Amino acid sequence: MNRFLSKDFLSGLMFIAFGLAALYFGQRLAVGTPVRMGPGYVPRMLSLILAGLGLLICIVAAVSGSEPVEKPKWKPITLVTIGVVAFALLFERAGLLPALVVLIMIASLANDEFKLTEVLGNMVVLAILCTLVFKVGLGMNISIVRGVW
Amino acid sequence: MDLLSNLALGFGVAFTFQNLMYALLGCMLGTLIGVLPGIGPVATIAMLLPITFHLPPTASLIMLAGIYYGAQYGGSTTSILVNLPGEAASVVTCLDGYQMARKGRAGAALSISAVGSFFAGTVGTAIIVMFAEPLTRMAQKFGPADYCSLMALGLVAAVILASGSVIKAIAMIFLGLLFGLVGTDVNTGAQRFTFDIPELSDGIDFAPIAMGLFGIAEIVVNLERHLTRTGGTIKVTSLWPTAEEIRRAIPAALRGTLLGSALGVLPGGGPTLGAFSAYTLEKKVSKNPSEFGKGAVEGVASPEAANNAAAQTSFIPMLTLGIPSNAVMALMVGAMIIQGIQPGPEVMTKKPDLFWGMIASMWIGNAMLVIINLPMIGMWVKLLTVPYRFLAPAILLFCCIGAYSLQNSTFHVMQVAVFGILGYIFVRLGCEGAPFLLGLVLGPQMEEYFRRAMLLSRGDPMVFLERPISLGLLITTSLLLILMALPSFKRARQEAFQEEG
Repeated sequence: MNRFLSKDFLSGLMFIAFGLAALYFGQRLAVGTPVRMGPGYVPRMLSLILAGLGLLICIVAAVSGSEPVEKPKWKPITLVTIGVVAFALLFERAGLLPALVVLIMIASLANDEFKLTEVLGNMVVLAILCTLVFKVGLGMNISIVRGVW
Repeated sequence: MDLLSNLALGFGVAFTFQNLMYALLGCMLGTLIGVLPGIGPVATIAMLLPITFHLPPTASLIMLAGIYYGAQYGGSTTSILVNLPGEAASVVTCLDGYQMARKGRAGAALSISAVGSFFAGTVGTAIIVMFAEPLTRMAQKFGPADYCSLMALGLVAAVILASGSVIKAIAMIFLGLLFGLVGTDVNTGAQRFTFDIPELSDGIDFAPIAMGLFGIAEIVVNLERHLTRTGGTIKVTSLWPTAEEIRRAIPAALRGTLLGSALGVLPGGGPTLGAFSAYTLEKKVSKNPSEFGKGAVEGVASPEAANNAAAQTSFIPMLTLGIPSNAVMALMVGAMIIQGIQPGPEVMTKKPDLFWGMIASMWIGNAMLVIINLPMIGMWVKLLTVPYRFLAPAILLFCCIGAYSLQNSTFHVMQVAVFGILGYIFVRLGCEGAPFLLGLVLGPQMEEYFRRAMLLSRGDPMVFLERPISLGLLITTSLLLILMALPSFKRARQEAFQEEG
């Protein structure tokens, strides 16, 4: 229906946004001359081309249309991202085990067929596996529970 | 004979106990992820990249290569038995393989596919051996301008042979190149796009990016789709094909091997393209094409041989020129860089044990795979009953730990989260992740060669047209681009990939 909510038009916009952002954040980098290129020469060239390609994609999409974007489901992507971020925050502060428990819990919530007993079982299996592989097997310097082991 | 002594060196390296064990481990892991849908070789290799840092260089490359071609074997098993392609490359095997299985010929289909794959793998390995030296010698004559043009050709060709919108894929390359520039500029020491984050001054590590783009985004999409498994498992009775089946399979496997080997070398080629083209070819040369889709032996033998041959020969551009032709090869380049090896023509001359050892291990690995796959079929099929709701959190967990162990820093775990979101956006907008990854890996090198070429020519961009090698490569690149714009070619390209959707 709406040709501006199509996959191609939106991806064109995304490329333009990335190109412009790179131009903006790279504006302090010296461009230099073709013989003695500064650190900004290639980035500027690439961002201009990227923005140009984005514009072209937008125009083509606006003229000839393309597939509409599917409505995203927010639950899986949000929960998975929260899970990974929580893991990152907990891993060094609390250790592998708490980080693992939180990550598995949040990630399992992203699935519609959530059963607590199954998730708990999964946690136990993965906790044992990870401890054996990473701590014992590969001898990585990680703590299972901070301050304890 | 030089070739023989090189091979002898290779087998000497590959047959050490340690390397045999890592080849076996790689093949087992590869078969495992090949059997499991929802996780492919790209995400697996990305997850394991940080761990390879603890291993010796040869062992780690042998293991990663094993995962890649092992996945081709595993993928075909599930295609035939439960009509579920574990890998994109085995999608076509479902068409006839599962039909054969329903007719009670499951065992025959499995052994034809395994033996065909082994044959193709052997030929593929032989081709690598033959082409490695001449190509390397050619590459050593390349100047900076030639390299720059070669990379441009590689990137453009990679896009054209992949499915999906070409212009979007080219934009993805540029986006990847741009991300590749993040970090300290090697020539001036200036900080580019680092936003004063010290972890970014060494550049963005591509293991977390690959995990985010191919691991996290994939999981999220599967969770949305409710990846469920249907279709009953089929009992395997006898593994022996009939004489008639063998007679039909042999020429088909030969054709598949040839086509797959040729397509594997091309940038952007690889197992998936090889399998699809081989199936189309079989349908065209067959006397009774109506049999296809109803359990034609050729429809199993040819694509299976092709995907394995292509998996082998796609190592050629990466090993000899340092130019990856698909996402897995981009990660192999990453694995080399982690070990402090700069991929390119020097690998063969400076590290002959690694180079030839890896090639020899591929042949050994292929032999191992036949043994792993055929007698142990029952075990692999059991694994299919593990529901995705157990698998998804486990994959996430391994990604997180893998990212952390890269430099013992949670910053990389955060990167995984960020690139997971970006990868999800890419999927939703129909943008391919593979060209992005190729651009990312080649970005820093390409800039380096570009700047060196321009410095040598005193700022004259004509240098790219004056050097004959560079000119030839650029002409090929532009021909490819023009070809893309032709409507008839566009249609043919769509047809080649139609069965994929």
